[in-house]
Amino acid sequence: MQLKKVTSQMVIPVVTAVIAALFIYLGITKYGFWHELRGPLPGFFPTLIGVALLALSFIAFLGSFKEEKTTYPIESWYPALGVIAIMLATLVIGMIPSLALFVILWLKWYEKYSWKTTLIGLAVIMAIVIGAFVMWLGVPFPKGIIYNWIAY
Amino acid sequence: MENLEMLLMGFSVVLTFQNVMVTMLGAVLGLVVGAMPGIGSLAGVALLLPLTYKFNPTTAIIMLGALYYSNMYGGSFSAILLNIPGDSPAVMTALDGYPMATKRNRPGQALFTSNLSSFIGGFIGMVILTFMGPALAELGLKFGPAEMTSLLLVAMTSIGWLVGESPTKGVILTLVGILLATMGMDTLTGSPRYDFGNMYLLGGIPFIPFVIGAVGFSQVLKLMTERNKKVDVNLTQKLTIKGSMLTLHDVRRLVPPAIRSGFMGTFVGVLPGAGATTGAFLGYAAQKAFKSEKPLGSGAIEGIASCESANNAAAAGSFAPLLALGIPGSGTGAVLLGGLMMWGLNPGPLLFSSNPDFAWGLIASLFLANLLTLFISLGVIPFLIKILTVPVRILIPIITVVCVVGSYSTSNSMYGVIIMFLSGLFGYVLDRNGYGVAPMLLSFVLAPLLESNMRKAFIISNGGLGIFVDKPISAFLLLILLAIVVTPVVKFILRKVGTRKQ
Repeated sequence: MQLKKVTSQMVIPVVTAVIAALFIYLGITKYGFWHELRGPLPGFFPTLIGVALLALSFIAFLGSFKEEKTTYPIESWYPALGVIAIMLATLVIGMIPSLALFVILWLKWYEKYSWKTTLIGLAVIMAIVIGAFVMWLGVPFPKGIIYNWIAY
Repeated sequence: MENLEMLLMGFSVVLTFQNVMVTMLGAVLGLVVGAMPGIGSLAGVALLLPLTYKFNPTTAIIMLGALYYSNMYGGSFSAILLNIPGDSPAVMTALDGYPMATKRNRPGQALFTSNLSSFIGGFIGMVILTFMGPALAELGLKFGPAEMTSLLLVAMTSIGWLVGESPTKGVILTLVGILLATMGMDTLTGSPRYDFGNMYLLGGIPFIPFVIGAVGFSQVLKLMTERNKKVDVNLTQKLTIKGSMLTLHDVRRLVPPAIRSGFMGTFVGVLPGAGATTGAFLGYAAQKAFKSEKPLGSGAIEGIASCESANNAAAAGSFAPLLALGIPGSGTGAVLLGGLMMWGLNPGPLLFSSNPDFAWGLIASLFLANLLTLFISLGVIPFLIKILTVPVRILIPIITVVCVVGSYSTSNSMYGVIIMFLSGLFGYVLDRNGYGVAPMLLSFVLAPLLESNMRKAFIISNGGLGIFVDKPISAFLLLILLAIVVTPVVKFILRKVGTRKQ
């Protein structure tokens, strides 16, 4: 018998089943299910939901063998890498410069737009960030290690 | 009459300079974001949610209502001009909207037909909401914990079961949403649970970064494969406001289907899981039974009017269970409900009596938003081609940045960004595998209410299940639940039997 390749359709119900099992286990052992006088305890509801999830995950797992394999185009992950880069750069140079750098690199280097389009795009995004979030909502965005060294 | 008096009181709350401006801002933003390619109303409302932080709760809620409502208008623009529905209710609009814009060479009139029908449908929906909302709330007051538990189970299951390609997958995500919502503090005792020793998780998973990631950032990841799609604009004439005006004859053709669909759409919108898309489909299907001057599908005004009126009426109708029972009918409704809760407002049977300013202010703001959106949507007609053809390649970094700053601004910490990032990846993987995230958002919002009601019911009954069937309303709701669960199973079996016979 030939074994079918592991696909994400199979992995998802396995992951949900593991989550369900974890919630059931902690619900019963740590948070408590039922008390004779007080009735349902904090673990009661998540345990019930966990049991239902475990059963349905099993059904979905069986059904996953009939589904076609899902593909994940590599370029779909680039924005995720961009967000990781923004989070790391924020620690060093602060969030607003990191966002500006991301936009410039994305439009100029990845999308190969002209400097004119890149700068217009940058101006639009910075107008949203600075105008709406900094000036209007007063969000104190992190300024990064370098700024903190210079300022203090 | 009392309802009309309360509505007038709602208008007195809404009609301040700040609130009118905010309604207008919400309408413009909702319209533009709703019209932009690939964003849609769910992601649109989620991305714009952080903008309401600055306001007092009433103003914030008015802006949210305007955002949500005007988004419904925006989806039809790309359907009419480009044959690309901006959201699922606009699928039906494209059937007649695009031929009217291209074959009949009346793009402006097609847009105006859509806008005017949306206005009529929305207005009918709001009038019915004015009377039905408080009546539904009164009925809701009769609901004890057992009835509320059954009602919430019906709402959650119907959306999980009916929306999306697989009922099993829908219900799995509903359950995952519930479990994620139980992390943090126990709703009844206040004791920590499932925090895994993490101080951030002790406060639970924050709703706004979660929703921005699950629908906004995951949309960015999806859009990456559509970066190089070219948008074809097949119009031979320039769009102007003057050139979009309808003739008296056009209006006469538009009004009857718009009124019929307005009533039908409102009642469809009240049902959880049905919503604007079903409203639009039913409105269009019903129009087939009536006379249309031009055949449906060939650019008939009646075709556009019937579905556009129905979908906006459904959007208005869905506010009745949302406000009166605290039950949203769609993913977008769930985001809106999350936004209302963020402002300390708990929609439910007591809302109309305990927070009349909020409830009636919101309903009045819908009337105002409907009127303002009609004028604004007429005003944006000359710019629509520019809005609709914004390259996806430019939108991707813009939406990414909005996701990052929007999620950061909710807690002023990177925790929000991390939650957004993880839920974005999660939402993307789920979407690729046929799991729509709307049921998860809905259950995430409703889980605390379900848990507290279920536990109270079990405390009252001393652990007995009989409480759920002894009470007639609860028993009736459980029957509906059973029907929802059993219908697709029976359909599946009948289909299998049918194919075997062939």
